[in-house]
Amino acid sequence: MVFKVPDYKSHLKPIWCPGCGNYGVLNAIRKALAELQVPPWDVATISGIGCSSRLPGYMNTYSFNTVHGRVIPIASGVKIARPDVTVLAVGGDGDGFAIGGNHFPHAARRNVDITYIVMDNNIYGLTKGQTSPTTDLDMRTISSPYGSIEAPVRPLALAFAGQASFIAQGYSSDIPHLTNLIAEGIKHPGFAFVLVKSPCITYGGKAQIDHMKSMVRYLGDEHDPTNRDHAFHVTEEAGAYPLGIIYKEIRPTYTERVRDLQMRASPPTDGIPLQVEDLLDNFLPE
Amino acid sequence: MAPSELTFGIVGSGGDGVLTAGNLLVQSAARDGLYCFMVKSFGPQIRGGESSCRIRVSDEQVLSQGDKLDVLAAFNWNDVVRFQTEIRLTDDAVVLVDEAEEGEPPEAVEGRRIVKVPISAISQEQIGAVRSKNMVMIGVLAEACHLPIEGVRRSVEKKLGRKGPDVVAKNLAAIEAGRSYAKENLADVPIATLEYEPSEPKILMTGNEAVAYGAIYAGCRFYAGYPITPATEILQYLAREMPRFGGVVVQAEDEISAMGMVIGASFAGKKAMTATSGPGMSLKTEGIGLACLAEIPSVIVNVQRAGPSTGIPTKTEQADLQQAIYGTHGDAPRVVVAPSDVEDCFDVTVESFYIAEKYQIPVIILSDQFVGQRIESVNRDGLLSVSGFTAVNKRRKPHRDELDDYKRFKDTPSGVSPMTWPGIEGGQYATAGIVHDENGDPSSVMEVHWKMAGKRSRKFEDISKELQFIRHYGPEDAEIGLIGWGSSKGAIKESVLRANAEGYKVQAVIPQIIYPLPQEKIAAFLAPLKKLVVCEVSFSGQFLHYLRSLLDLPKETYSVSRPGGMPLAIAEIYDRLMEIM
Repeated sequence: MVFKVPDYKSHLKPIWCPGCGNYGVLNAIRKALAELQVPPWDVATISGIGCSSRLPGYMNTYSFNTVHGRVIPIASGVKIARPDVTVLAVGGDGDGFAIGGNHFPHAARRNVDITYIVMDNNIYGLTKGQTSPTTDLDMRTISSPYGSIEAPVRPLALAFAGQASFIAQGYSSDIPHLTNLIAEGIKHPGFAFVLVKSPCITYGGKAQIDHMKSMVRYLGDEHDPTNRDHAFHVTEEAGAYPLGIIYKEIRPTYTERVRDLQMRASPPTDGIPLQVEDLLDNFLPE
Repeated sequence: MAPSELTFGIVGSGGDGVLTAGNLLVQSAARDGLYCFMVKSFGPQIRGGESSCRIRVSDEQVLSQGDKLDVLAAFNWNDVVRFQTEIRLTDDAVVLVDEAEEGEPPEAVEGRRIVKVPISAISQEQIGAVRSKNMVMIGVLAEACHLPIEGVRRSVEKKLGRKGPDVVAKNLAAIEAGRSYAKENLADVPIATLEYEPSEPKILMTGNEAVAYGAIYAGCRFYAGYPITPATEILQYLAREMPRFGGVVVQAEDEISAMGMVIGASFAGKKAMTATSGPGMSLKTEGIGLACLAEIPSVIVNVQRAGPSTGIPTKTEQADLQQAIYGTHGDAPRVVVAPSDVEDCFDVTVESFYIAEKYQIPVIILSDQFVGQRIESVNRDGLLSVSGFTAVNKRRKPHRDELDDYKRFKDTPSGVSPMTWPGIEGGQYATAGIVHDENGDPSSVMEVHWKMAGKRSRKFEDISKELQFIRHYGPEDAEIGLIGWGSSKGAIKESVLRANAEGYKVQAVIPQIIYPLPQEKIAAFLAPLKKLVVCEVSFSGQFLHYLRSLLDLPKETYSVSRPGGMPLAIAEIYDRLMEIM
């Protein structure tokens, strides 16, 4: 059986605004899965709440549009319970870095083998245009009519702080490039963070699209994603959105550590498997 | 022959080794086949501070913590004062106190026979260090009250063995010194004693351990939790044992995440559980609502403590009842069950997985600090011969033909729809915390919402038919009745049996499933009643209000309800019963 891009498509038509960056991300995800030939029934696509969190409904996978900010716990639960499943966690900047902000660094440090794709449009679109944790300082929105007075969070730096083992940035308008990043993220054994600059046509408009276009910079061959100091430096460069795989390291995944722990917890019992009833003996008095 | 039993307490400061002494004596009693019940109580300090334990041992099944102490062993008076509301002594109780205590006896021991025992002096002079005084006290108690001592010796050898033979010898010598002293000096003291024939050893468990063990027994292989008193022992037990059965335990970054992981694991096809206490329950409420709407089988344990907010982390209460039944926005059907003793913690957990998996619904286990942290002897064979409905079940995998035109949330007569999970070819579906139709497609159409809300709640019809277990005590035609729930069972049952023995006709029921309540059975119990007493550890009387919302209660309905801090005592219930007779 060969899987094609439409095999990953559900019967639902996206409700996103025409021109939304999320269409490009949805396409790239489907293409990446087709490229890797993952059977749709072996994929779980999980999200929280927001415009971009509607994405799972458009996938012909096991898809779960959960509650605001909880994409990572639920996706982690799926992966830890079922390591054989390919788990995609998707959502927006508000879902991931505001209400769900506590989960991101922890999934990263655990190195749970999921691919977390954040569509960053620097705004709350679904609730009609309030500031998000990645909105620029001084930006005017309907909840910051005099300009935002909060410095934005830096998601890539946050990923470093959380010890993410794969950190990449893509752009919703460059689907082939993004497809490759997502495919590399899925292949990566461990927590893969793919931040996607994905403009909001309605609340960012042409100005945001032009701004993003002027800011993106493709990382060249000279970039060494295994050099952590250099990689972190790249994310700190002002006035640019570096595109590509920024950082990558191989270290044991959560599941590998669980398996190792299970081995250590179960010393050999001369071939007789431990029975649940045996545990009662531990409750007998000395 | 009347049962032989003894209820005694030990009180002291942190360094006195009160809990060590209590644990050793309980282990020893269980080893000789005695039934045991041990409740600990302590101040909030991590180390040091006051601590106490109350132990009831008997050659017959122990129903509750007991009422009044026959014997109190005190290392000093100060700590007795700190626990004075929890210490009630029989009229002829004997109080053993360290001779080193020179102060005036407190009110709590007034009128009782006080016997000064030089435990610090014996420890210092004969063993060479005052810190062995808890071992001396063990020796004194064991000799004076005829408590089993062999198990204490064995425990000391085993537990202190790795500290070297000197340490073992010193501790054994301290116990012997205490025994010799008691033999020579206390023989004439009229102290309560235990007379019994040794029998098969009993296993000892806490309620939290029984829940954790029950989860493994029920096939749960995924647990996520966050440390919280008084539920943490569940996390700790499972962290040690679950990996040995191929399971995973995750200590999540917060309570919300733990609940989310459980939802994810169950969505992925695994039986999953989380446990917490009140503050964590408040945080998990978000996820419980999602599990209700997305129909995710899940088991959530709440080991209740005094609340609201941080409340008293170390003390029991039954005031999370309304939160368990109604907590979450929207109409969110879930099942609430309550364990009534340690053995029941096991049964109820196995049952919860059965309900959760069969009906695709979250199940809340309402335990509490009293049942969760106390140590009780459990009949090993009885534990494993769980009654019919608590059979271990597997989540039903849909047949191939059910996957043609598959609707995850098919509106069936029972309200239960076929559920697939990742890996099942052709079973893919999308679901959401958003109101969705039978396919799982998001919808804001009112008719869809009405239909699906009805489908989810319809599960209650079958659940109510299948699960109606209630405990009943006393004659069924009695016109005076008691009702309570969860860990209040012991004191209620013992009050009824005592009243019956005194010639009063009184009955009681304790439902195991709190929501949906087995209404027919409770209505049958209420039918002959002229007077009803609702017993609960809740200031506002949450259970009474809940019963009133569902059933016609007798005109003369009384309430034993007060805030937590300690469990209901038999006397509290019995005295009220006598008042209303």
